[in-house]
Amino acid sequence: MSKTGKGHTDHESNRVRQKQKMNQEKIEVERDRTRLSIKMDTKIKTKIKMKVTKVRAEAREEAKRSIAGENRGRKESGQVSRGVSRDEGQLQGAVKLKFKVQPFLKRAAKSAGVLAFWPMVMAVSLSLATRAGWPGPTLLGLLNPELQAAPTAGRSFGPQVEKPKLLVIKAGRILTMTGPPIEQGVIIVEGDKIKAVGKDLAIPEGAEIIDEPEGWVLPGLIDVHSSLGLVDERGQSENEELSEPNVAQLDVLDGFYPFDRRIVQVRTSGITAALICPGRRSVIGGQAAVVRLKGQTVDEMKILAPAGVKFSIGEGPKQAFGSKGRLPSTRMGNIYVIRQALLEAREYAGQWAAYNESLAAARKEKRSAATIQPPRRDLKLEALAKVVRGELPAFIECYRIDDISGAIRLVDEFKLKAVFMGCAEGYLVAGEISKRGIPVIVGPMGIGPKRTETENVEISNAARLHKAGVKIALQSETQYGLAALEELPLVAALAVRGGLGEEEALKAITINAAEIIGAGDKLGSLEPGKLADLVIFSGHPLDYRTRVKKVIMGT
Amino acid sequence: MELKGINEGESRRWPSKNLPAPTGSSGRWSVHGIFCFMLISLLLSSPLFILVKVAQAQAAAAAGADNDKVLVLKGARLLTSGNKNYERGTIVIKGSKIFEIGENPQIPAGAEVIDVSGCLITPGLIDAHSHLGLGPSGGVTEDNEMTDPVTPQLRIIDSIHPEGLAPDKNQFRQAVAEGVTTAVVRPGSGNVIGGQSAVLKLRGGTVDNMCILFPADMKMALGRKAAYAQKGQMPMTKMGTAFLVRQAMLEAADYRAALDRYENEKKNNPATATTPPPHDLKKEAMLLVLDRKIPVHIHVDQADDIMTAVRLAKEFSFSKLSLAHAEESYKVADELAREKVTVVVGPRMIVYDDDNRPVNLADYLHRQGVEICIMTDADVVQQPFLRSQAAIAVKYGLEPEEALRAITINPARLMGLEKSLGSLEPGKDADLVVWSGDLFDVRQEALRVFIDGVEVYRSPRVDGELKK
Repeated sequence: MSKTGKGHTDHESNRVRQKQKMNQEKIEVERDRTRLSIKMDTKIKTKIKMKVTKVRAEAREEAKRSIAGENRGRKESGQVSRGVSRDEGQLQGAVKLKFKVQPFLKRAAKSAGVLAFWPMVMAVSLSLATRAGWPGPTLLGLLNPELQAAPTAGRSFGPQVEKPKLLVIKAGRILTMTGPPIEQGVIIVEGDKIKAVGKDLAIPEGAEIIDEPEGWVLPGLIDVHSSLGLVDERGQSENEELSEPNVAQLDVLDGFYPFDRRIVQVRTSGITAALICPGRRSVIGGQAAVVRLKGQTVDEMKILAPAGVKFSIGEGPKQAFGSKGRLPSTRMGNIYVIRQALLEAREYAGQWAAYNESLAAARKEKRSAATIQPPRRDLKLEALAKVVRGELPAFIECYRIDDISGAIRLVDEFKLKAVFMGCAEGYLVAGEISKRGIPVIVGPMGIGPKRTETENVEISNAARLHKAGVKIALQSETQYGLAALEELPLVAALAVRGGLGEEEALKAITINAAEIIGAGDKLGSLEPGKLADLVIFSGHPLDYRTRVKKVIMGT
Repeated sequence: MELKGINEGESRRWPSKNLPAPTGSSGRWSVHGIFCFMLISLLLSSPLFILVKVAQAQAAAAAGADNDKVLVLKGARLLTSGNKNYERGTIVIKGSKIFEIGENPQIPAGAEVIDVSGCLITPGLIDAHSHLGLGPSGGVTEDNEMTDPVTPQLRIIDSIHPEGLAPDKNQFRQAVAEGVTTAVVRPGSGNVIGGQSAVLKLRGGTVDNMCILFPADMKMALGRKAAYAQKGQMPMTKMGTAFLVRQAMLEAADYRAALDRYENEKKNNPATATTPPPHDLKKEAMLLVLDRKIPVHIHVDQADDIMTAVRLAKEFSFSKLSLAHAEESYKVADELAREKVTVVVGPRMIVYDDDNRPVNLADYLHRQGVEICIMTDADVVQQPFLRSQAAIAVKYGLEPEEALRAITINPARLMGLEKSLGSLEPGKDADLVVWSGDLFDVRQEALRVFIDGVEVYRSPRVDGELKK
């Protein structure tokens, strides 16, 4: 990866520049060689001139495509170390082959006047090499050597679509998260989906089989409060547009960088999907999205977008704006910004409802609708109107009891479909939260540095909220600045220490997490029809000795 | 000083409500007695005794120490960090020391015997790198005097709040409740030379009572230049950083020469009136390093800074070099092993190499023959979570016993306190923790924590179970 030391934009353009440079270099090499060959046979020079141009153009296209594939492969190469050497081997093989073929081709070309063919041959052989055997990102053999010997499901990066393959996972214990655990069970995966889960299933023919008699299979873990792809390792941030307190119009998809190194890193700990959120310092930060942590483009990766609009109440916005002498510099100011925005959105929603009604009325009465003017579109209010109408949840980040109470007032006033995030002092008002059926994404557990807002963090927070009847999910600690890696099982184990049942703790990082962020139909449990994202642990997931053996995301 | 048993708490300088409360079984205990013992043990065992200033005041007040009280912990699994572990062992504690340890040692008459069958006993955990009591990281902290990049004269004990500052106001109590009994508290890494570290035992209510070794070592930081670069002040480069260390060492050497000249002059010509070189706290502090009286602890991240640290250590013959964080140390592990540099790993336990593959730093370094400690860097990771830091290293491959050593005997050895701390062996301080189960399983808890033979924490569960 290039190290620009700058933000994503630079990073991005640098990447593009590098790619172009590589293309250029390759093409130049081709050109030189072509020239050499042409010198050898000046007689046919003019004859083939036209052809050269044409073939060169083709070769350029081909080279571009293959380099793009190569680049992608390189991005993925961190995941499967064995894959790296294999790829290299194949590439070298292809290069050797090309050199053997070369003299013969030259002779043939000399006589036949098709010298300029061989740049294309080279390009094609390169592209074949890239297509033939990239191990693909589907199985991440990581962390210990035996993993790296895991079978690798082939995945091509070329334009052609492979038929979905069948994958069978036999495991000692399958925690479906919706039903009882299955001992010595079988999961059949077809393409990206789970086809069947059960105990004595017929193994389909031709399927690739993964046998883990000691392994525990869980659905892929979900980090429900993440800045992956928005904040890179160096802390370059794309998650907070702090030019004004309300930026509901922004969509995290537009800031998401699919090659963030941290994506590969969190996958190693079993996280396969995340709710990507704007940061905590904006009052209304923008639209969050649920992203599957596999793919090259955000469009390919998104599972649910927008998943909701992110709000934040407390020290974050106060410090960000108050320090500049701007609104909000107090908690009252903070809530005011939100109320004002939601009131405007309610009005806006009303205008559109009226417009749609009059359109419908005109259609019904069969008169012309030409005179009916639509309201002016406002992207900010459009996003918030969805929240006001209850079409999108409001993710409200709040930690202290005063902020939680403020959030509850907003929920009551605007009948919001809300999810609370953080809620460090949630245990103090668990009853109020429960009464309104507001789910809570609980965190932090107190591992990381404390701020004024998390001063009274309690390890029993999750357990007490759950006991009061609140549906809970657990977030990874990194969101609040923990300098350790995303260890959701560790967070779950801490919640257990705080009194939460083990099953409930596991649900809080899988199925409940999925349902709270609105992706329960695709993620969070091992059921037919859901995405085949699963983790094989070496033992009980909450045991510190347990490692992630494999992460599987489709065949 | 009129300090009485902590139970009474009458004449203590700080209110007692947040302190680890000693409990009935151990009765009252005297800060003085413990310090007297500690002082004696240090006097006997370590050439560093001259550095222990704190105990002097307590030395006279040995009367009243309950040195004959015998406490026996019976039947637990013992992971000693020493030569031998016991599946079912018994520890005899006499006064503040471990008297005997074994499968079936003789229990003296009149001893208080506590049956801890089914539990695990380990030495009290030691954090080799912490900023306990110095304020919240990212907030207003007391550990970085950012007015001058070279501040060896600063003493961390002058900054520590003995309970923890808001929002970490109960840091000490919470740390003890998770089995942390000793912490090496260090200045921050904002300055090239940050100041002098201290070793604290987490009991006693005042910094002076807690401190068992000061100055423990000199804290430096290489490769961190952003803060001063912003001001357009040296260091703006890594070269500048290294130069400042060199400069400070050379100035100390000059100071040493001036002192020697004065001493010689005084000895040879007592009649002539000579004046000693003027006091310079900065140079005097660096003299401790120059004279190899205290080791050096350096914050580094990148491989080049790590090698700069090694270079400086060789150039000025540091008595001992240890590195903090050292996230790229896996790149130069063999060098570090050869130079016998200790690496204090954390708070990031897993780092990613250039190909984005995870490296379990503690495990990798250990396998390459580097001595490791594991830290929280409190409050980057909160002090109580020292064992979960180690648990992460274990999860990704470090031997559990080595992980325990990295938070017990290795830090003790790093600070030169291995004769009194860090393992369960006869003659050592009775700092130990009774766990409800596996040490590294965060679902388990500390049931009883002892420092110097005194119970400083007891889980509510203990009394609950006893009642049953």
